[in-house]
Amino acid sequence: MNADTIPSAITRLLTPAQRQHWELAWLSSVDHKRIGILYMVTGLVFFIAAGLEALLIRLQLAVPNNHLVSPDTYNWLFTMHGTTMIFLVAMPVLFGIANYVLPLQIGARDMAFPRLNAFGFWLVPFGGILLHFSFLAGGPPAVGWFAYAPLSETPYSSQPGVDYWAVSLLVFGIGSVSAGINFIVTILTQRAPEMSLRRLPLFSWMIFINSFLVILALPILNAGLVMLLIDRLLQGRFFLPFGGGSAIMWQHIFWAFGHPEVYIVAIPAFAILSEVIPVFSRKPIFGYEFVAVSTVVIVLLSLLVWAHHMFTVGLGHTVDLFFVAASVLIAVPTGVKLFNWSATMVGGRVRFTAAMLFCVAALLQFLIGGLTGVSHAIAPLDWQTKNSYYLVAHFHNVFVGLIVFAILGGLHYWFPKMSGRMLSERIGKWTFWLMTIGFNLTFMIQHLLGLSGMPRRVFTYPDLPGWGAMNMLSTIGAFFMAAASILFVWNVMTSLFRGKPAGENPWNAWTLEWATSSPPPHENFDALPPVRSRRPLWDAAHPERPDPVVPLGGTLDAFRPDRNKAGVMTFIISEAGFFGVLMLAYLFYNATPRSGPGWHQLDVPKTFIFSVCLFASSFTIWRSEVALRSGRTAKMIGWLAATILLGGIFMVGQGLEYWHLFQSGVSVGLDLFAGTFFTLTGFHGLHVCAGLLALLVVLGVTLCGGFKNRDMPALGPVGYYWHFVDVVWVFVFSIVYLWPLLR
Amino acid sequence: MTTQQFLVSTWSWDGAAVVFSAMAVLAYVWRFGVNGRMLYLLAAVGGFLLIRISPLNALAAGYLFSAHMLQHILLLLVVPALALMSLPRHAALAWGRALPAHTLMAWLAGVGAMWLWHARPLCNAAVSSRLVSALQIGSLLVLGAIFWRPILAPRETERMSPPGAVFYLFSACVACSILGILITFSPVNVCPIYLQPPSGNRAVLELIQHNWGITPEKDQQIGGLLMWVPMCLVYLGAIVAQLARWFAQPLAGPRTAERGLS
Repeated sequence: MNADTIPSAITRLLTPAQRQHWELAWLSSVDHKRIGILYMVTGLVFFIAAGLEALLIRLQLAVPNNHLVSPDTYNWLFTMHGTTMIFLVAMPVLFGIANYVLPLQIGARDMAFPRLNAFGFWLVPFGGILLHFSFLAGGPPAVGWFAYAPLSETPYSSQPGVDYWAVSLLVFGIGSVSAGINFIVTILTQRAPEMSLRRLPLFSWMIFINSFLVILALPILNAGLVMLLIDRLLQGRFFLPFGGGSAIMWQHIFWAFGHPEVYIVAIPAFAILSEVIPVFSRKPIFGYEFVAVSTVVIVLLSLLVWAHHMFTVGLGHTVDLFFVAASVLIAVPTGVKLFNWSATMVGGRVRFTAAMLFCVAALLQFLIGGLTGVSHAIAPLDWQTKNSYYLVAHFHNVFVGLIVFAILGGLHYWFPKMSGRMLSERIGKWTFWLMTIGFNLTFMIQHLLGLSGMPRRVFTYPDLPGWGAMNMLSTIGAFFMAAASILFVWNVMTSLFRGKPAGENPWNAWTLEWATSSPPPHENFDALPPVRSRRPLWDAAHPERPDPVVPLGGTLDAFRPDRNKAGVMTFIISEAGFFGVLMLAYLFYNATPRSGPGWHQLDVPKTFIFSVCLFASSFTIWRSEVALRSGRTAKMIGWLAATILLGGIFMVGQGLEYWHLFQSGVSVGLDLFAGTFFTLTGFHGLHVCAGLLALLVVLGVTLCGGFKNRDMPALGPVGYYWHFVDVVWVFVFSIVYLWPLLR
Repeated sequence: MTTQQFLVSTWSWDGAAVVFSAMAVLAYVWRFGVNGRMLYLLAAVGGFLLIRISPLNALAAGYLFSAHMLQHILLLLVVPALALMSLPRHAALAWGRALPAHTLMAWLAGVGAMWLWHARPLCNAAVSSRLVSALQIGSLLVLGAIFWRPILAPRETERMSPPGAVFYLFSACVACSILGILITFSPVNVCPIYLQPPSGNRAVLELIQHNWGITPEKDQQIGGLLMWVPMCLVYLGAIVAQLARWFAQPLAGPRTAERGLS
């Protein structure tokens, strides 16, 4: 590709033929680089929306007893601001950066599943439009970003705003899981031959580990959203206390997702810091292994400690105590990281480029956000400061102080790679100082406001001594940040056309994304340099003193599972989380036998017979795979058809059961037994149907002679999925049908 | 009765446990001689004896479900792990291709032991019957050893690869957490025998309920939480050890070999 003849940076990503139809080339792209940029641009659009909402909030709070916006408007402003910033700004932009950088960094041509990648991205604008459509459909949600029940239930929020909120989050949830699966499988299967797992650059390693958190945490939210929607749309009562449900259950489900979610956006920020700080300190990262392992520890701990968001709920001292201990523990692996980044800078030749400035500021601001976080982990302190501006200051120190700053650092660092042109360092430094002053002015002062008792989420405040002045300063700070944002966008726009050409490796960085042209050609690399350590480009530039070789020990460093099977297995892990929540909900709500319709209306023997059919289908699909391997197509088709038949019989059985229940007046909204029963078995049935469809497609393609030469990569993964559906039914059948027999 | 009196007076003598421990130490010395790794065995034996004769056992014998749970965790996770770690590097575990050597079976042994013994009838029986109690202790030790074998087998070749081990341990942590969550928040009693503490010693009951403030509901919560949080921290510690093992793996051999090539 001859870069000099191409007029502008934007079109440089396209081939001449694509430039004829550039709109289509962007809209229909499955190239990870373009999808990455689309993610970031979408994030920017929603950043403007959520940023304007933030400015309105700050304007309203600038002076005491203000009536610029009404209380109701204020409620939806902070709801939409929070939801948009997390799901439509932080996640898409970080996924976008990862989408762009990760395949390049591991020497891959593209993501493992390019179409799934495009699907995951397009769900973001789709969900964003759904969320904002609520403005036209009776008003946006006004229940806060965590939508606590019962406020989010129909009796208290009768407008459809919460429905749009829940459906759009469900859409993001599906998109995020698909992105997570894609990152995991890409790392596992698309790495350059010499790029062993232990040679991964820290950015890729951390995105890899983080993706496990994505596929484990998002399904928990999805399950909760499904239950909330059933409450709202089908008259269920999962979270309605007066219907026997439990509002605390929603809090558990939400924070079991919500706490990992903090790390889902924080770990990519850590990942950016771990790339940028070493490059501009001209030193390899201090203690690679410690950063890598502490990431795993953070991921696992973050799944354990959600109840620290609920200290004020009244779970009891016993529960609080355990979660205080576990939450404080997270400070250890996080502190390890801070020490590693600091030690990387010590003794290095630090170059304070705009990218580095943002990352150093992120480190310092996160130190404060992290320490106030520890203070929230101490239950008695938390009781005093929860839902005050101290909490607002804390999480903005993490979300803005760390994550936004790291994103800006990362964008300043990788923009030359993405566009082929340098951002203006001068404007970059102006952006940095405006942003830093603005951020600290806005949020540092809120610690004091919170400690002096100002509650969050209240649309105005009385004229208490000092409150007006502090709030005014905070508002002024917010406008500094707005100015910085405008300056950044201006910098990007002008640099796209007039920036200095970047060349392959403007920062003398060491990872593979800098070993190709800027922007990289469609296929990413012409030839890869040898990879023997974690800094291949350093080794190439300094053959006289290369980094120590990271050994290729054992079979594991070469571990490359089958792409489709790895994809389905990761999906199954995620789905197991979803069903896990539904089953726990079933057990919780049916722990004590209730009066009224219930288990005794189920036909256990009949369902047992139909279940045997389903279990038998696991055997038949296994026989089908065996027949395929030995090349007997007719036999394989026979077993496959038997599988579909058995699955179909099971579904008929489920239909009969449902019919029988409906006939006797048992429907979802009747009571909690009915609600949990239909939710659990219904979603299982839905998965059986999806499996049947997949099997039918395989059968159809086989009958049309699509698989002549024993090569049918689809049957294995579909078989995995089918076995999973059967295993889920083993659990569902035991819990729903057998467990009451034992009581 | 004060806490101090309780801690001093409730040590009990368990002849079977002492004989079993002595036999374990003798067998070790006879098979492997006295060596540095024996310290792990002594820790395992010491831990086991503490579980059996210390006030913890007195509490578990009908008073506190949570003490019972702590015993389970130690018997299943800590004692067998220490025992396996005491074996010298060359010792082969002669299971070969037997069923318990299969990774899935080993996982089910570890997780199943926890789930099975908290089914209500078994949980009750383990407190009321000496025979069932002995069976429980034995099975927890054996199943714990089976569970830890893919992680802590003395020979490197018999162990799982470190990332595989991370999955193995993490999924076990999740499986036990689910049970812990259920026990913590369950509105029904998991092990009702603890609702009728032994009537012989009112003073202990008085101490637990009034001085320590542990009601039966709180007791069950503590039990569930022990299984949920600290038990997962044991797995997490093992996960960190596995990752450390991975990143430290054959640095000497292939490193020099590859250097020589290049």
